[in-house]
Amino acid sequence: MSFRYTMIGAAICIFIFYLGLILSLFYFVGGKGFWEALLHPNTLFSIRLSLMAATIATFFAVLIGLPSAYALSRFKFVGKGILDTFLEIPMIISPIALGAAFLVFFNTPLGELIQTKGIFFVFEVPGIVLAQFATIAGLVTRLMKASLDEISPRYEAVARSLGSSPWQAFYRVTLPLSFRGLLASIILSWAKAFGEFGATVTLAGAMPGKTETMPIAIFTALASANIDKAIVLILILVAFGLLILYGVRLTGKRYRYD
Amino acid sequence: MIRIEGLTILFESFKIMNFNIQIEEGGFHFLLGPTGSGKTLILESIMGLRKPKTGRIWIGDREVQGLPPERRGISYVPQDLALFPHLKVKENILFGIKARDLDMKIYEEYVAALIEVMKIDHLLERYPAYLSGGEKKRVALLRALAPKPKLLLLDEPLSGLDPSIKIDIQHLLKNLHTSFHPTTLCVTHDFEEAYSLGDGITIFIDGKVEQVGKRDDVFLRPKSIKVAHFLGAKNLYKARILKSDGLLQRLILRVNGLQFSIPASLYQDQMEVGKEVDLFIRPEEVMIIREGKPVKDSLRRNIFEGKILDIADKERYHLVYFQTMEGKIPFEISIPNYAFRNLKLSIGKIVRIALREESLWLMT
Repeated sequence: MSFRYTMIGAAICIFIFYLGLILSLFYFVGGKGFWEALLHPNTLFSIRLSLMAATIATFFAVLIGLPSAYALSRFKFVGKGILDTFLEIPMIISPIALGAAFLVFFNTPLGELIQTKGIFFVFEVPGIVLAQFATIAGLVTRLMKASLDEISPRYEAVARSLGSSPWQAFYRVTLPLSFRGLLASIILSWAKAFGEFGATVTLAGAMPGKTETMPIAIFTALASANIDKAIVLILILVAFGLLILYGVRLTGKRYRYD
Repeated sequence: MIRIEGLTILFESFKIMNFNIQIEEGGFHFLLGPTGSGKTLILESIMGLRKPKTGRIWIGDREVQGLPPERRGISYVPQDLALFPHLKVKENILFGIKARDLDMKIYEEYVAALIEVMKIDHLLERYPAYLSGGEKKRVALLRALAPKPKLLLLDEPLSGLDPSIKIDIQHLLKNLHTSFHPTTLCVTHDFEEAYSLGDGITIFIDGKVEQVGKRDDVFLRPKSIKVAHFLGAKNLYKARILKSDGLLQRLILRVNGLQFSIPASLYQDQMEVGKEVDLFIRPEEVMIIREGKPVKDSLRRNIFEGKILDIADKERYHLVYFQTMEGKIPFEISIPNYAFRNLKLSIGKIVRIALREESLWLMT
């Protein structure tokens, strides 16, 4: 077999592997409980909750992540290497460990103070947002840094020499030039938050109608042998996932740069 | 006048100590040095992108050291041009005027004149990705000049262009300078570029200024053998001062047994008899004497007979490799094509060369 066909063959195998997995779901579609599960208030609640929590978590992650990404991309400062490495923490430790770490934290005096004087996180909706934020803040920073790295600092240098302040140079030049990359980073991070399970369930629990996001609902549906509901939720997740991938694809079309 | 004093930059392996430069208002000054000598670091420091260890920068009477780049009034054309790819040519050009909140009405006529000189009126609605290399250079130059900077910094403006386009842009830069007189500091490693455009030249090698002067001073009279080598000097010879003729105001030198005469006035009293020096003459300053043609008085003192060893056709000129009969001193001689044809030169031919005294230059 030729080199070319071996390589392409491998790629096709991966495609068939995932496609088969998704198609197998349809084996159970249309069962008696299927439509019931789809229209059940708890299902709709889970969808709504997941969308909302992931969006808020992404908003905060970008709010802190974009300036951080810029700093890591453009400036030299003490501790940059350590900071950069720390961004990977949520990617290398298990989400359950991350969630557990939060539970421990909220039992320290500082954590208790935050909960009593501020917002209650443990087994509450803000806990979902916090868990998702923790999972994606490092990721979104990393991804956005990579997009900013692609834009030569020379553009900003020229913009500065032409009279722009650093802020103006950022939003008139760097931001529009890296916009597509940044958007793709944000979409991917949002998807990651949307599907987050381990940290969320550990910190916020799995209370139907309260803190049950879609991935958690899938887990509880399976745990209670409610296959129809699990499949409905999985299919919805897959649909969202495909939409997101399509969105990222759209952002992948770029201007012709030098 | 632009003055930079005592600029010291320490960056990675670069060490630039106590760099000074002065540029007359409306001057076209070249900072000429080999690639990797830290010239771009100097530009970045002048612009305010990089904080030098020490140093002060004045634009006219205004000291700009300590000001952020946007408040210095210095435009910059980097080597890669960095045209904003998301903006049309027109928007690129007007970027500086908008960023500085300048009154467009005042600049309209000036920008229109620039566009005309640069011949880019047909490109205004295009995006930079759809421009050729030469067109990009024009747009980048125009963008830099549009807000009327006090100082224009050019980083290797002619690099990466096809030879014919390079000549175009060179002419354009010259026209631009004669029409609008922007005070310009241009960094390059290409001495031909500096020769054809610069009125002042600073030679910068290994983090140090080796020589500053008017173009002809630097090219015809390099201060050191290092500068001569960098400028591509060909005819360099070890010489010894044989005698100093006070009456005729001349120094007589000996190279491989041959005697050369040069005016003493250029060297004050630095040249004692017996001293070892380097003698230099540019290839285009060596003349081949046409048979039967009388030789001018000014050329009579340094005439040597020899043989043509080789000839190279360089498209716009010919290089003749010549060796004196006595002393076997090699000379590289550059002559224009028409002169080459008139002289009917061929390999092996015996000819005489004449060296103008003023074109011979000594370095200690």
